Amino acid sequence: MKRICRITIALCLPLLLCGPAMAQHSGPYVGAYIGGNMLMTAEGKDDQGSFSLEFNPALQGSAVLGWDLEPGNPMGEGRIELEYTRRSNQVDQMKFAQGYFQGSGNLVVDSLLLNGFGVFRDNRPWSPYAGVGIGVARIEASDLKVSGNPMGSGSAIVFAYQLGAGVDLSLTDSISLDLGYRFFSSTNPSFTEADGRKFDIDYMNHSAMLGLRVGF
Amino acid sequence: MIKQFWSCFIIMLALSGCGWDGTPTRNNDFIPLTSIEITAVYQTIAAKTSTKLTVTGNFSGLFTRDITDQATWASNDTTVAKFVNASVPSRVSGLIPGNAVLTATVGGVSSTFNLTVSNATITTVTVTPAAPSISKGLSTQFSASGTFSDLSIQDLTFDATWASTDPSKATVSDAVASKGLVQTIAEGTSTISATFDNVIGSTLLTVTAPALQSIAVSTTNSSVLSLSGATFKAIGSYSDGTTPDITALVTWSSSSTGVATIAAGGTAKALSQGTTTITASLGGINGTSSLKVTGGNLTGITLSAANITPVNGNMNLVKDIVVHMTATGTFSNGSTTYTRDITGAVVWSTNDTALATVVAPGGNLAWLTPLAVTSAAKVTATSGSVSETINLIVTAPTLQSVAISPTSINLVVGTSAPLTVKGTFSNGTSTTTQDVTFNSTWSSNTAAASVGNTGLAKGVVSGDSAGSAAIIAAYGGKTSTAATVTVVTRTLESLALNAITFSATVGNQVAFTATANYSDKTSQIVTEDTVWEIDKPSVAILADSVNQPGQVVGVDSGSATLKASFGGKIQTVTITVP
Repeated sequence: MKRICRITIALCLPLLLCGPAMAQHSGPYVGAYIGGNMLMTAEGKDDQGSFSLEFNPALQGSAVLGWDLEPGNPMGEGRIELEYTRRSNQVDQMKFAQGYFQGSGNLVVDSLLLNGFGVFRDNRPWSPYAGVGIGVARIEASDLKVSGNPMGSGSAIVFAYQLGAGVDLSLTDSISLDLGYRFFSSTNPSFTEADGRKFDIDYMNHSAMLGLRVGF
Repeated sequence: MIKQFWSCFIIMLALSGCGWDGTPTRNNDFIPLTSIEITAVYQTIAAKTSTKLTVTGNFSGLFTRDITDQATWASNDTTVAKFVNASVPSRVSGLIPGNAVLTATVGGVSSTFNLTVSNATITTVTVTPAAPSISKGLSTQFSASGTFSDLSIQDLTFDATWASTDPSKATVSDAVASKGLVQTIAEGTSTISATFDNVIGSTLLTVTAPALQSIAVSTTNSSVLSLSGATFKAIGSYSDGTTPDITALVTWSSSSTGVATIAAGGTAKALSQGTTTITASLGGINGTSSLKVTGGNLTGITLSAANITPVNGNMNLVKDIVVHMTATGTFSNGSTTYTRDITGAVVWSTNDTALATVVAPGGNLAWLTPLAVTSAAKVTATSGSVSETINLIVTAPTLQSVAISPTSINLVVGTSAPLTVKGTFSNGTSTTTQDVTFNSTWSSNTAAASVGNTGLAKGVVSGDSAGSAAIIAAYGGKTSTAATVTVVTRTLESLALNAITFSATVGNQVAFTATANYSDKTSQIVTEDTVWEIDKPSVAILADSVNQPGQVVGVDSGSATLKASFGGKIQTVTITVP
């Protein structure tokens, strides 16, 4: 509930604070993004206790289909979009009561989010924006190993959300470049250990994205 | 716009999370166990004794871990050595002299341990600690050590049979899981013995008085105004489980005596704004509690007297006429100035007790009595390094008359109102008046109303029953004309306060008014007749329940409820101190 409240607050604030629009694109658009992400150290938990998983930074890619809101609409100035993103981070090491151990395997996330961004426009060619997204994610623990020994695997579909902010740079009336930051997280997915025991992990990801959006 | 964006961005960063940095509790059992090693306290044990074995697992050379609790055990010769205790599976007992190969298996990985059981026989058993004194209520693990015929020494705590000669004083466990654990019961002595193979070792245990183990310090006022007081209480926790009040036994101290001092008995006096730690100590055991002092530091004192206006710092008084004195403190926290009544907190003195005396009977009350005709008398109120002095010019004119005021009042049964009486004095050339309310003798001629004749209640008329009464005051041989008091009976419908919620600032005094509403649509202010209470003295306090009913002072941040009770009706005010 606390996370949902946070999302709601963050969603509403930017839209309500947006000012009157300058000339801008309104209507549908498509876009593609590429960037790098850092998956934060995750806490794993099962009935024997807790442990941690650390990950390597990785690339990620997104595709969006959205709608630029027309100036003066009652929702505020901004855009609403559907975003698909794929992230895959390799396990670097795991920490148990005995210390750190070499890890391997990947945590692969495919997410589909509905994003709402408020855009702060004025006379500048670039416009900052901020917003949130909610949706679902399929998280797959792919062949996780500890010092070469099987640790766990599996996949789960979970509720996911993200907070985002960045800067839009208008190249033409319908094409804009987007440099943004995203914080992506989800409810805890549950996977299966090598001996059949269930374990949960938390998932928090920070990413920087560069994208191109084309309006119609 | 950009500011709004940054606001959103900062909110976003605040909402986002960082990675987990906790301490893992799970063992890494994903790494295969590749070997185990058995260790024991004794490689050789005497027959009829036992030793505990430990299994350490090696996990692929990456780490080792004690996995004794996962091992299954076997002996190749159970006539020589056997694992006899299911509750302690890793303890092996030697039965007869010989050699045995013990095997531990964990997850398919095994290791062996060669145990020799000797034919040594027990010669002496020694119980430790030797002749101990243990406080009542404590438990202590005792040990038994055996010396054998081959001069070897072996721990026999597990193998011996334990007993106490007086279980009413102390018991000792002979259960497998707690062998040798002594529990003291009552003051006195008992012999604790360990018997192995008919050889007895013993020690005399003295159970002493319960030992203080901790002190809990508490106070009802964790926040107080400067120049006010707080009472602390110390509760001791003793080894026998008792928790007596040891407030009078402990030594009290304050970590910052500039903020507050504390005297024997736990009575603290707040001196200046700040926080101090109050400690209660007894026998090397300490207990602490924090005391926060609010309301600023005293910067000045103003002296005043009821119904008397000082002229050029001098107060003109008539000899022997008692005056009600008040000391008002000015406080500052550096940015805010507060004023409040500190009559009861200052030290009152006169320069010559033959000329004038001041009596402070408690609360915010002080009575000044000029005793001699003089212009040299001085009255001083002091608090720390701050003091204020006022000069007294005392004369002894002749009393001409006394006059009561007001001359008529109406009261409802159960309420009260003050009357005053002034004396007119003459020195032959001029006349002067002075309030003689507190020197006069008051009387009422009927049971309809009564009038107070002591202390602050002097001249206060109470309506006791329907009817009328004549109140007179007499002083110096003069009697006033009567004040007519008419007392009526009314049905109280409700009690109203002048606020429902109130925001009080720390250190400032706020006056509340209580009004009684009657069924005949009349109302009367009954602030003085109302009983005032406040539930959280660390948030707000009553200024003085006797002298200043209904007056509240904010103490520290929080919310408190002020409760007013009159004639069976109750009204409350929520007081918020920001």
